[in-house]
Amino acid sequence: MVSTIEVYGVRDPATLDALRRVPRHEFVPEEYRREAYGDHPLPIGYGQTISQPYIVAYMTELLRLAPGQKVLEVGTGSGYQAAVLETLGCEVYTVEIFRALADSAADRLRRLGYADVQVRHGDGHFGWPEAAPYDAVIVTAAAGYIPPALISQLKPGGRMVIPVGSVYGVQNLILVRKASDAAVTTENLLPVRFVPMLSGLR
Amino acid sequence: MLARPIAVGLVSAATLVYEVLLVRLFAIEHFHHFAYMAVGVAMLGFGLSGTALAVTRDTGAQRQVRRLAWAAALTPILLLVSPALATRVSLDATRLAVDPGQWALVALLYALLALPFAGAALVILLSLALEVDRPGLTYGGSFLGSGAGALLSIALMRWVPLPDALSWSAVLAALGALAALRAETPRPARALTWLALALAASATAYPAQRLPVSPYKGLPQVEAFPGAQRVAQDWSPLGWVVAVDAPAFRFAPGLSLAYQGPFPAQTALFVDGELAGALTRGSAGAPEFLDWLPSSLPFALGARDRVAVIGAGAGLEVANALSHGASQVTAVELHGDLVRMADPGRNPRVRWIVQDARTFASRTSAQFDLVTLGLEGGPGGSAAGVRALSEDFLHTTDAYRAYLRLLRDGGVLAVTRWLSVPLREPVRVVMTAGEALRREGYRPSQALVVAHSWATVTVLARPGGFSTNDLQTLRAWTAQRQLDLDWYPGLTQPVERFHRLAEPVLFQAALHAAAGPDSARAFSRQYPFDVAPRSDARPYPHHYLRLTALPAFLARGQGDWLPFSEWGLMALVATLGQSLVAAFALLLLPALLTARARGERGLVRLGGYFALIGFAYLAAEIAAIQQLSLLLGHPVYGVAVVLAGLLIGSGVGSVWSDRRQGRAWVAPAVLALLAGILSATQLYAVHAAQPTPLAVRAVLALAALAPTAFLMGIPFPTGLRSLAGARTTRLAWAWAANGFASVAAAPVAALVALEAGSQVLLVTAAAAYGAAALLIRAAPA
Repeated sequence: MVSTIEVYGVRDPATLDALRRVPRHEFVPEEYRREAYGDHPLPIGYGQTISQPYIVAYMTELLRLAPGQKVLEVGTGSGYQAAVLETLGCEVYTVEIFRALADSAADRLRRLGYADVQVRHGDGHFGWPEAAPYDAVIVTAAAGYIPPALISQLKPGGRMVIPVGSVYGVQNLILVRKASDAAVTTENLLPVRFVPMLSGLR
Repeated sequence: MLARPIAVGLVSAATLVYEVLLVRLFAIEHFHHFAYMAVGVAMLGFGLSGTALAVTRDTGAQRQVRRLAWAAALTPILLLVSPALATRVSLDATRLAVDPGQWALVALLYALLALPFAGAALVILLSLALEVDRPGLTYGGSFLGSGAGALLSIALMRWVPLPDALSWSAVLAALGALAALRAETPRPARALTWLALALAASATAYPAQRLPVSPYKGLPQVEAFPGAQRVAQDWSPLGWVVAVDAPAFRFAPGLSLAYQGPFPAQTALFVDGELAGALTRGSAGAPEFLDWLPSSLPFALGARDRVAVIGAGAGLEVANALSHGASQVTAVELHGDLVRMADPGRNPRVRWIVQDARTFASRTSAQFDLVTLGLEGGPGGSAAGVRALSEDFLHTTDAYRAYLRLLRDGGVLAVTRWLSVPLREPVRVVMTAGEALRREGYRPSQALVVAHSWATVTVLARPGGFSTNDLQTLRAWTAQRQLDLDWYPGLTQPVERFHRLAEPVLFQAALHAAAGPDSARAFSRQYPFDVAPRSDARPYPHHYLRLTALPAFLARGQGDWLPFSEWGLMALVATLGQSLVAAFALLLLPALLTARARGERGLVRLGGYFALIGFAYLAAEIAAIQQLSLLLGHPVYGVAVVLAGLLIGSGVGSVWSDRRQGRAWVAPAVLALLAGILSATQLYAVHAAQPTPLAVRAVLALAALAPTAFLMGIPFPTGLRSLAGARTTRLAWAWAANGFASVAAAPVAALVALEAGSQVLLVTAAAAYGAAALLIRAAPA
């Protein structure tokens, strides 16, 4: 799986190493375990998916993280992305709106020993103000607007990455940068290789 | 003796109701293009019954009567069982690319859906075989029944919740089976007929059909949010509208990143399970955040007193205009259920018009300071290109010209679209606005402004141009909201301060659109996607992938982004591919093998003729529906009237054809001529008649349709008499060829319409009728 991601252009050794170390099969439903290391998304319930590994790697690389940094994730899902971030040495705060997903992700992360991940069931619109500011924010489900709270909870010099399109078929990624003077700019990025859920065809 | 034609009519009505409702149901449960594929392929069941009958040897009339009784009794049962089982097939088509097991489920689904079509087709075919002296009456019964079925399905969609309406098709088919009962009908078949009627009636009285909406759609996801509550829902032929209150739901397309204020409470509105917009509640009608939406750009130019909102949907832009001080807002929205939910309090400053926007634009005498087309619905469909096949007369050059004519002095046309990468839709909007301005006699170089946020693009077209003061105001307004001004009169270099695109495509598009038609055309030609403006003759403004570019994109390999940007066209090509493979396996191969074994002759001519008239009928029907529904101004009622008119006219023609002997080539030859004339004239006539009242337009549409429809009913029965004679196997081959051609013709005709337009589609119908006339004229007596 990781060699495929490498071929697709993700170069950051720490990110690739984290993807090697996180047991992805633990984060997918029992019936899909055989496919856990294929480079494609898998359903996890509530119409949500565990993202394609390449997208996880690409988004993680875009954040340019260093050990000890604080990261906010909106949309915990299965907890896989949070586990990857924690493996990079980050302190992770993750918010999930579907209670069942939040609870199962918290249990899973605890069982697998990801101690530096805090999971909260709640509305990602408000971020997680008590732990702010963050060096990076990663949003895994965008709804056509970027919550103002997420921008204000981002540190000057911080980065945020948001996929735009439908939740089950990333079409492009927005990289948000907050400069040291707090000026906010964005960049529209196109993942070079992604396998969408076939958004038009279900 | 009319019993058999009546039975055929009822079974045909049942099939049409089943087909129409099934497409709607699948579009809700899954997605529209999967519905198109699944039901399109399932209709191969029609041709399949022909093949099945053809490969069995000719048998006596007694056996045919028994077969007819069994087929008629089984059809209503299949109509009940098939959709009930189909909704339980746990297919996840999103996983087709990675899970081969899903293909087995697709095959199972196709087979389940095809069975009722096969049963109904057998009833019609065996009736034709038993009534060889009057094929026109029997086939006419089928046309007339289908016409009535078209009207009935619209009525059902209006008054019965969709999942419950499907069993009505079984009731119709059971009544057809009763009509087919004869003294010689075997007792078990007779008992099954009555049982089928009882089952169909009880299924209608006590409906139990489920509606499992795809979990990937917005509705189930928002309803799963904490505290979510469904507050209203309604069914209509335009769609299933649901309103949901959920504290965690927010809709603010492209909201400025500089906005730090509160969010108002909103009600999410869904059509067919997909987000259609949001009703902004509370906050005294002027929520602060509206002024920070990119679609507020035209209000930066000063007060807009009279505003027209085209495609007002859930009313976000209506609220926006009100909050910016408009004294009167005319909100044009076709979907009455959305309007009822969007403005329950009936604000006296808002005048809602439930009408097609093009009809409104051509009939109104009102003038506006702003005509705005905002964003309703999420970015998903726009980004994935799933709307590629949708006809949309609101974003053609003709449409933009009509909007420009609604403007007062100083008025502005504003269009906001999602910014989906690779950039396609907003680029076409820029090109279309430029072309519309030019054709209306204005100078695009002075009259265009383009701005983008991190997620949306807004295009302003102002016939009177922008003053230095206007531009200064726009620059300040966009800078405060962190929007980039891509283009304004006088700009010579791209400027991107806030939201960087890979290339300054919007600047380049506007530069070329402003420079003149040759420059605009040159830009469109070299752009990787087709972004040239669309006219009413080819109303597919959301289709961007050039068919010729498809092989090159597919060759880039799995995972590359380009093939996945345009699902609409891919679904169409897939439907065509599946139909052709199935036609080969289920028609051509058995025909060749049987013909060789039995030494039959003339099958090529027979098959060719019936395939050609099958294709021609579909092509002419699709072109007529497209052009005349623009005239009638309603995508559902317009289509229903045109379809019913066409089928009923054909039914009358078919019945009349029994009185006529010899010269079977005349009808297709005249049809070739008529289709050619319609291709050259009909669309101009539609534009000329658009401002007249509905009654006049309806009469004109039916007058244009009647003679063609009448003639279109003749080639099938006269062809049967000339080429098939009394032999059941030849009749069955003719039926199979016609059935398979009709099914394959649907995606072919859609492709021709998409790539070349409805006028060219009529020319292909003319060519097919011409070729059929030549084939039958050269047939040995």
